[in-house]
Amino acid sequence: MPAELEDAMRKAVHLEYWNLFWSSTIIIAMGLVLGQSQTMKTAWIEDTLGLVPPVMFLLAARVEGKARPSKRFPFGFHRVNGLGFFVAAVALAAVGAILLYDAVSALVAAEHPSVASIFVFGHEIWLGWLMIAAQLYSLVPPMIIGRKELPLAKALNDKLLHTDALMNKANWLTGAAGLFGVVGLGVGWWWADSLAAAVISLDIINDGIKALRSATAELVDGAPRALSGPDLSEDAQALCDRIRTEFPGSTVRLRETGRLIHVEVHDHHPPEESRHPRSYWPGDSDRSWRIAQVSFIPPTDDDHCATKQGK
Amino acid sequence: MLPRDPAGTTDRVSRDRSFKVGFADPDAVSDPRTKALIQNLEARTDATATIVDSTGEALLKHLADGNVDLAIGRFRSDSPWQTDVAFGPALTTHGRSADALELKAAMRNGENRWIMKVERASRAVAEPGAND
Repeated sequence: MPAELEDAMRKAVHLEYWNLFWSSTIIIAMGLVLGQSQTMKTAWIEDTLGLVPPVMFLLAARVEGKARPSKRFPFGFHRVNGLGFFVAAVALAAVGAILLYDAVSALVAAEHPSVASIFVFGHEIWLGWLMIAAQLYSLVPPMIIGRKELPLAKALNDKLLHTDALMNKANWLTGAAGLFGVVGLGVGWWWADSLAAAVISLDIINDGIKALRSATAELVDGAPRALSGPDLSEDAQALCDRIRTEFPGSTVRLRETGRLIHVEVHDHHPPEESRHPRSYWPGDSDRSWRIAQVSFIPPTDDDHCATKQGK
Repeated sequence: MLPRDPAGTTDRVSRDRSFKVGFADPDAVSDPRTKALIQNLEARTDATATIVDSTGEALLKHLADGNVDLAIGRFRSDSPWQTDVAFGPALTTHGRSADALELKAAMRNGENRWIMKVERASRAVAEPGAND
């Protein structure tokens, strides 16, 4: 972990603990009033799934911060964050697909969800009112936490944290769609519930697929991807151009391990003077921690090898 | 005022001053709680119950299709019909734990205003502790 990120990482860890706390209160509140509503079920599962990114982030931050390279893991644990990102992405995409299937099945079968009444403090109340209250409550924490996460995700170049910020955005959008579904049920639109659930599911799948594309790219040593999607990262592209200019004729390959970039310069000898990898960073020096390593692979002299082997 | 019924059961009962009731099993007919529920519901809706000649699964199918407004019978708490119809609170319970049979009303799924009305009537006539 680069030293200049420690402060931002501490804040992010602190924020994620708050995220877990507030998300848990939402899950409990929603779980108590689920009923037969497909919208409520979908929103509740999405809220529960929303725990995956912060949990993975906290696990990854712990491993990344504490674990040292060992004989079994000589390159350290920079990629733990990427692994967490992959797990979160798979969970998002898979559950989104299941929920979409449920919602479309309910729509096709024209299922009419029943929302009964319950007794609260001696008063009979339609469960739908409590569902609406739970949905309204579920809008607030993710809206605030998601906004606080975005600048930290950018500062740390943390895709897992960024996915969590997206997840929080999806969660409050889900709350808004869920309100439509429950109110729709109340006014007698039986289809509103399943329709809202289907829209929410599509949003979950969209987030999941975007995250999965980025996570997979990192796992197969793809070029560094942007924080917010599967497009190539702009700062990594600028770095590639800068190194190509400095070492003409070379082939430059970049890959990402977690938040760090590794550079291989093929078919070129290293510069004679010893240089810190960060000296190659083209933009704002505050972000130069992104470069972990620059390796040079000189041109292979095939004739020389052949001669040596012949002897 | 929410909720409303997608198929307008409550409005129809109010307009026609009549609702259709079936008994899922013969024992339900003679239970005094059944009679109390029907009378309570008649008073609440200012309508008269019309008994339909259908029992068992055929009745529940009629209910799910919207041909009957209420089915009263003894059902297990984990009845396989619980996803196809909406059950009201138990009027009385026979037996213990998982094998217990609950005398209760079933309504067409999604007719939330009607369901609430029947639930209210059921709670009013239920044996104390039937839903504990």
